[in-house]
Amino acid sequence: MHHAYLDKYANQNSFFHRLDSRVKFLAALIYTILILSIPPRSAAVVFCYVVAPFGMLVWAGIPIGFVARRILAVSPFVLVLALSCPFFDQTPYLLRLGDITFQLSGGWMRCFTILAKFAATMLTLFALTCTTRFTDMLAGLQQMQCPSILIVQLSFVYRYLFVLVDRVHHILRARAARKLRYLGLRQEIRIAAIMIAALFIQSLESAERIYRAMQGRGFTGSFHALKPIRINRRDIYFIFVFIGICIFLHSIMRIWLNELNGV
Amino acid sequence: MNQAIEISNYSYVYPDGTMALDSINLTIQHGERVSLIGPNGAGKSTLLLAMAGFIRGKGTVLIDGMELCSRTLKQIRAKLGCCLENPDDQLFMPTLFEDVIFGPLNMNLPPQQVKDNVDRAFETVGLTALAEKAPHHLSAGQKRAAAIATVLSMAPQIITFDEPDGSLDPRNRKRLEEVLGRLPQTLIIATCNMRFAAAVSSRVIVVDHGRIVADGPAKSILYDKDLMEAHGLEIP
Amino acid sequence: MHMANELISFPVAGVSIGIAGGVLGWICKSIRQDIVSEKAAVMGVLGAFVFAAQMVNFQLPLMPGTSGHLIGAVFLAVILGPHLAAVVLSSVVIIQCLLFQDGGLLAIGCNLLNIAIIPSYIGYYVYRLAAGNMQNKSRYLAGAIVACVIAALAGSAMVVLQTTISGVLLIPPVLFLATMAGVHLLVGIMEGMITVAILGYLASVRPDLIAGLTASRAVLSRNGALISLAVMTLITAAGFSLLASDKPDGLEWSYLERPEQPDFKPVVANSDQRMDAADKLHSKIAVMPDYSLGNTSELHSASAGWTSVAGIVGSAVCMGLIWLTAKLIRPRRA
Ligand SMILES: Nc1ncnc2c1ncn2[C@@H]1O[C@H](COP(=O)(O)OP(=O)(O)O)[C@@H](O)[C@H]1O
Ligand SMILES: [Mg+2]
Repeated sequence: MHHAYLDKYANQNSFFHRLDSRVKFLAALIYTILILSIPPRSAAVVFCYVVAPFGMLVWAGIPIGFVARRILAVSPFVLVLALSCPFFDQTPYLLRLGDITFQLSGGWMRCFTILAKFAATMLTLFALTCTTRFTDMLAGLQQMQCPSILIVQLSFVYRYLFVLVDRVHHILRARAARKLRYLGLRQEIRIAAIMIAALFIQSLESAERIYRAMQGRGFTGSFHALKPIRINRRDIYFIFVFIGICIFLHSIMRIWLNELNGV
Repeated sequence: MNQAIEISNYSYVYPDGTMALDSINLTIQHGERVSLIGPNGAGKSTLLLAMAGFIRGKGTVLIDGMELCSRTLKQIRAKLGCCLENPDDQLFMPTLFEDVIFGPLNMNLPPQQVKDNVDRAFETVGLTALAEKAPHHLSAGQKRAAAIATVLSMAPQIITFDEPDGSLDPRNRKRLEEVLGRLPQTLIIATCNMRFAAAVSSRVIVVDHGRIVADGPAKSILYDKDLMEAHGLEIP
Repeated sequence: MHMANELISFPVAGVSIGIAGGVLGWICKSIRQDIVSEKAAVMGVLGAFVFAAQMVNFQLPLMPGTSGHLIGAVFLAVILGPHLAAVVLSSVVIIQCLLFQDGGLLAIGCNLLNIAIIPSYIGYYVYRLAAGNMQNKSRYLAGAIVACVIAALAGSAMVVLQTTISGVLLIPPVLFLATMAGVHLLVGIMEGMITVAILGYLASVRPDLIAGLTASRAVLSRNGALISLAVMTLITAAGFSLLASDKPDGLEWSYLERPEQPDFKPVVANSDQRMDAADKLHSKIAVMPDYSLGNTSELHSASAGWTSVAGIVGSAVCMGLIWLTAKLIRPRRA
């Protein structure tokens, strides 16, 4: 979240960017559920589910390096918890590859599956968020009956996020230029608190000016609906392909897992 | 015919005791282009806020013959549009289009007129191509133009601007001068830049310490070296 | 601590989305209209403020390179009151998910509860309880610290509760709870210190601001506040009793030995009912069968075999092809 162009990829233009945000949102939700329903000891299966969101990201022109870095940045909590699994389940499993066999504990299989699922669902979330402008997402959510207070709140936060993040960068730069050593916890906290308080006062002052600007343009308390969005042919194509992929993956997986169980 | 703005004997004291406006008397005709100049802290912004009814002091303010009070506030806001100092305060919606349409929607205009107003506003400031952009993806000059469009779309008779030339480079300032030159409305522009004042207005009002200290044709006031230097200003 | 999709089961995800959605919907419906029009800008800007304030870090002692930062839940609850703070923090959580990809889509209910709703209510009421009527300065600052610690602990306990009920992780709940509580105790103390520093500073430079904001905090009726407090208590109590009524050490261990190979060292396997139930449920919803577990006295055979390799290699080749086509198409488009 360190610069104002964080959402720049969402503002590109591609087939996927032009899709209806509701369609993409529901597709991402369903795909996430599919991935999560893979049983807890089948990391290899999850791999096949990565292809579709990967393809969507690549074809939409989102750099995979950017996505990978972001996924790594949000992964520590899951990583630690997944790595705890091997300690608590050491039931041995035998993996056979032709004549080669090797042994793996159930905990490790769980761990790998959790991490694989994490990567796959995160890619899915990126496929949604990197191809959908936030305002389109809000319009979609509004049409899906999200309360309007929440929509207004989200659009305000989104709008002023960039203004305040810019401002905080300037403040941090000013501190970094003058604070050249560790000052002790008490002093560190005091300085951070003063900076945050200054930011808070500035935020309230700008809220007051914004309220003024809203009143100046006739605001009386109700927001008018964002412009309605409609499903068009592009979305229909996407829905069909999506359903096809889901059915394909699911049936392949079924056959595969049945075969494994037969062994 | 009514005057566009008539302020008589108006004073305002901020809650902390700062006397920001001190017995202001001022009349502005329809169609006039007026610059408010004065050093920082002179009271220019406060005077503009008083005109738009955001603050209430002692004295009367008449906008197009209508006295400013809470009952008339809505009608007056439709007549007088105000463009705040910082475009980030003015542009509060997530995209330009939603921002520009915000005012007209609140005025309960018929849909066709809303659309016409919005299109015309975008055209006037030359931002039609950027309507779907988010404000944080715009340059300072574009933000300023967009902030003006949000006011223009309400088609007011009078528009006030608070330092519209602030943080603009010379090219963008030139563009802004052109945009302002095209507007048929009554304009009241607060600024610290004398060259800008000379380019956009025919009448100049000098404010200092909350009082009006000079009022007259732009040429004679702006080139009065003694007057300008006495109030911490310069000739263009 | 943002919960991920993978750490919770479908029922937990569903129920928490239901509860969070219900609470939020109820707040949104019962906030008075005049408050909405007056506070829309303040709430929006304060939501953005939370993001910005979280970027202001302070270096921690003893551990060079680590830094703490404000989380802001209790601060907002003290300033805005619990209901508006819950709405503001919820918008922060939703944006963290949809813009910063922090926290999964299905885990959003858990995150709304753990990070937004529970800390703002618990933080606020603990603060009011401890601070009294704000006459005594040192008392209300101490109240803010206590509120931060308890809010942080409550959030982390919810994380443990949700993962434990889900049965995805294998950590014994008591161990997990102890670890999370330990970490969050520190987080809460840090949060308390910085929150108090900010409140104290604001009270000395802009007492008008604090007074003005806190005066207009009553946005819902008194009954609404009481009901919401009661509901939160009920949820938490129910959760803890569920956790406590289980086996004390949470998991049951069984040692496997291979009869044909006496020197084979015993291995730990776990036969927790909760886990089994979760797995069974999983395979029921999943449509896909899991590896058969077979007799526990024998080595489980999960011989993925060539099909697994084929699947992985096939997927990799697919992704490579997709990447190549994209590379080939792009220059033509440009
Ligand atoms: N919100 C406020 N509270 C108290 N004093 C203020 C406030 N805003 C402005 N002032 C004071 O009022 C005077 C006029 O300010 P302002 O109208 O902003 O001047 P200008 O726009 O000409 O630079 C200044 O002395 C300023 O310090
Ligand atoms: Mg000013």
